[in-house]
Amino acid sequence: MRSIVFLIFFISVMVQAQTKMSAPEAQSLKTLVKNQALTTKTISSDFTQYKHLDFLSNDIITKGTLAFKTPNLVKWEYVDPYKYTVIFRNETLYINDEGKKNQVDMGSNKLFKQLNSLIINSIKGDMFDDEAFNIEYFKTDTNSLVYFIPKDKKSSKYIDAFHITFNSKGDVVEVKMIEPSGDFTKIVFTNKELNKPLADAIFTN
Amino acid sequence: MRFLLISIYFILVSCGSYPKNQNFHLVSSASKNIVNPYFSDESIDYVYKTSIDIYNNSFGGLLIIKKVDKQEHRIAFTTEMGNKLFDFSFNGDSFKVNYILDELNKKILINMLNKDFKVLITENLHVSNSFTEDNNRIFESTINNKKYYYYFNKNQLTQVVRANNGKEKVAFLFLEISDNIAEQISIKHNNIKLEINLKSITQ
Repeated sequence: MRSIVFLIFFISVMVQAQTKMSAPEAQSLKTLVKNQALTTKTISSDFTQYKHLDFLSNDIITKGTLAFKTPNLVKWEYVDPYKYTVIFRNETLYINDEGKKNQVDMGSNKLFKQLNSLIINSIKGDMFDDEAFNIEYFKTDTNSLVYFIPKDKKSSKYIDAFHITFNSKGDVVEVKMIEPSGDFTKIVFTNKELNKPLADAIFTN
Repeated sequence: MRFLLISIYFILVSCGSYPKNQNFHLVSSASKNIVNPYFSDESIDYVYKTSIDIYNNSFGGLLIIKKVDKQEHRIAFTTEMGNKLFDFSFNGDSFKVNYILDELNKKILINMLNKDFKVLITENLHVSNSFTEDNNRIFESTINNKKYYYYFNKNQLTQVVRANNGKEKVAFLFLEISDNIAEQISIKHNNIKLEINLKSITQ
């Protein structure tokens, strides 16, 4: 009997933890995030990446820093447990793999181009494109959570959904990319600073 | 004439068995079974930072190996940023592709990875012959009808060689071994320009 009470308690907590937004709430979140994205010229942040594979006992945890500068300079720098940097600049992907440098021309690769714009948009949170996604809005205790479910068949082969968590200011605090198998990659941002001056030189390999 | 002699010599040499060509000494061995311990602990998530060099192209990612059951291993490969490129199941003698990126979905690649990974995870091997060479004990065994030579140095597995027609085709090197974890593993193919290097980041 006690276990049933607990079960009901937990279910109700779970339901409470994440409730659907009303249409006006969703609209005001959208406006907040879009305004935030418009005024964001640079982002610098630490991140922790959790790679979840169902068959593993623990998620694989990697850490690093992110730098973004408008309109489309992005640098992901992994520092622990390995050193690996990837820079998205113009139509090219610059990779520095523990000193081994490599570059990939994205101009010819549609998938990379899509990936690049997705990355930029998800960092800023501005993915509110009803043409490309089915979008669902939720609120949690202090944050907002939005599901972006790709409509395009080709994308949905790789990604089932993006779950982006925003804080009350409309900043992205977490991005979760869920694969069709249920495995996912979760990136949690910490020590995020907006509009701190970033030199272009940061985005060179 | 000299060319002919050299050719005949090479034909004769290449017709010899791998142990003969390597000057191994046959010994009568007490061990009828050997063990590869490197991916045998079900409680460990084995994670390796990986670089693959193939025909002057180089790419990297994470190779993730997990013994999920007594007879079953999962092997997945992701990019450093987390995108999954493939996910295989090895269960006893059966092999299954759970996922592979369209661009990599090539039979020849899958067969090669299947063959190489099978060697990494095969734990218990039956010995058909044993040899010595310098400080090494070498045990001949068979996986999927191919001959393999397992090199042990001071009771530690340091190398596995796949041989065909008396020649080394693929070599698996296990380096910096501690507590049954090989911190570095290198897989070198001799018939194609392919080298896979693994560095443990097991957490």
